[in-house]
Amino acid sequence: QEDSVSLLPLSPAVYALNKTNFYKARRLPFSRKIGISKEEALEALQVVRQECHGDATRTAGGSGTTRKCTALELLEEEQAQGFIITFCSALDNILGGGVQLTKITEICGAPGVGKTQLCMQLAVDVQIPECFGGVAGEAVFIDTEGSFMVDRVVEIATACVQHCQLIAETHQEEDNLKALETFSLESILSHIYYFRCRDYIELLAQVYLLPDFLSEHSKVRLVVVDGIAFPFRHDFEDLSLRTRLLNGLAQQLIIIANDHKSAVILTNQMTTRIGQSQSTLVPALGESWGHAATVRLIFHWDNSQRYTHLGSGG
Amino acid sequence: MVVLRAGLCPGLTEEMIQLLRASGIRTVVDFVSSDLEDIAQKCSLSYKALVAVRRVLLAQFSAFPTNGADLYEELKSSTAILPTGSPSLDQLLDSGLYTGEVTELMGAPGSGKTQVCLGIAASVSLGLKQHVLFLDSTGGFTASRLYQMLQAQAEDKEEQLEALQRIQVVRVFNIYEMLSALQELRDRLSQQVMSSVGPLKIVVIDSVSAVIYPLLGGKQSEGLAIMMQLARELKTLAREFSLAVVVTNQVTRDSSTSSLKPALGRSWSFVPSTRVLLESKEATWEKATTQRIASLAKSSRQPTGIQVEVDIGNSHVQELSPATPTQGF
Repeated sequence: QEDSVSLLPLSPAVYALNKTNFYKARRLPFSRKIGISKEEALEALQVVRQECHGDATRTAGGSGTTRKCTALELLEEEQAQGFIITFCSALDNILGGGVQLTKITEICGAPGVGKTQLCMQLAVDVQIPECFGGVAGEAVFIDTEGSFMVDRVVEIATACVQHCQLIAETHQEEDNLKALETFSLESILSHIYYFRCRDYIELLAQVYLLPDFLSEHSKVRLVVVDGIAFPFRHDFEDLSLRTRLLNGLAQQLIIIANDHKSAVILTNQMTTRIGQSQSTLVPALGESWGHAATVRLIFHWDNSQRYTHLGSGG
Repeated sequence: MVVLRAGLCPGLTEEMIQLLRASGIRTVVDFVSSDLEDIAQKCSLSYKALVAVRRVLLAQFSAFPTNGADLYEELKSSTAILPTGSPSLDQLLDSGLYTGEVTELMGAPGSGKTQVCLGIAASVSLGLKQHVLFLDSTGGFTASRLYQMLQAQAEDKEEQLEALQRIQVVRVFNIYEMLSALQELRDRLSQQVMSSVGPLKIVVIDSVSAVIYPLLGGKQSEGLAIMMQLARELKTLAREFSLAVVVTNQVTRDSSTSSLKPALGRSWSFVPSTRVLLESKEATWEKATTQRIASLAKSSRQPTGIQVEVDIGNSHVQELSPATPTQGF
């Protein structure tokens, strides 16, 4: 097998190895004359060894890391998956039942329309026990704008618990009453993991480190990034760097959503696009960002009533 | 660039390789381009043996010219045209998706690229009963939507489920995973393992820009190299195994003219033979629409600039609207 070394994710300095024609992935000797440090060479060897082991398990019939399945299997998975309900039936309808797991949903809107409110609501709703129709998960809340208000979350959580209590009283079932014992204000608040990121570097670091956190907290079913636009909008001179970083961020979030079976919610601001005859409000961060989210919800006001429509997906 | 090793061709023994390596000849190219008399002297190998080896290597590794008529006959017998599921789109593409070529769908977010890809997968799997490989890099593949499309086209539940089983979905979220998935496909096809893959004629990749964008730009130029590697991989797959390769791409806004142009730049624009731009019609917030306008941006068979209306809601017949040619890319 002649797997070219250039197919592996190695750092650019290691590509100097190509010049000395080390093509066979299995026989990659580490040589100091190439001018890379010992650590880099060891790292490269590890990556290659991992890749070769990965190959071995794959040929041995193991599933490895390739996420492969038929559409039928995916359909069965999707149908068995729950939604995170928003407690607003119109919104749930437009989303097809609620916020979907394993997908990225983007919420766009002008300031004050209620994006952070919705995120806080969802952070509570994700914890609803399964017998009440929820997914019984935990939530990660990454805040970049500092708009997270604990007292409001307390109000939302209290209302949610009361709602579930009402259901339990009317239906009088064993599991409902049992679930209510653990579903209280304290438990809801203690299962929202809050991170505050002040600039784009902290945000990137947080998102890239999130898989480690999630592997320790496997019950997390919701990741909220409130304010994805904020750290990237001002003081960013190099626009191509911004596009690159945002796209890398999007891919990382997609991986998190997919591997941990969580819903990822992003909130985005609106900006004005000045056209020839008129100007329109469009979601911020440009054309290339629009592809990150599978479902895009755009909120707007009309005569003191909030409206929403689907920008894409669904 | 292939490294010389024992057993590559008859007559190439291990000691020969060691001697050659000692005088700096490592790859086939080095061997074939060097002076054999010189080597025979330096490595004390038999000149005849070297000539024989060179002949075999040339036969194995060089390209031979074919004449146009043979090529045409071969193309006629091996090319298939696959329907996309939308008759208006088929007309735009000159009857459908041609195997042996890379076709690109581009559009802004929400323009319907994933929907069209799902429609293509449904049509090929249900209509032609052939296998489809779907590489999803955005997480946008929704099996329930695909199921809806199949239900609209076929009544029998058995048929629908069989069609779903013929579509294999691989989730690849970065460029290396995508390249290894494509390489795996190539290995399977070249070994002709029919059981898992079946008669595969089409590979849909949604989207290439999602995995390439994080690499482009900046000080490193490896991004461009990897993008070209992907391009080469796709074109070889299409041509060698007679597959139709469909990719989706983003659009970016041109800062000077503020018009939409395809992402990934000029180097990528040479990869697909056909490019279709998907746009939504002017929709207000009150009325949701499933209508899209597809215009031909690049094609070797049709005039560019022609437009059709495509309904991504259901794969039903749409009329071809004789639109005025707009500016091609």
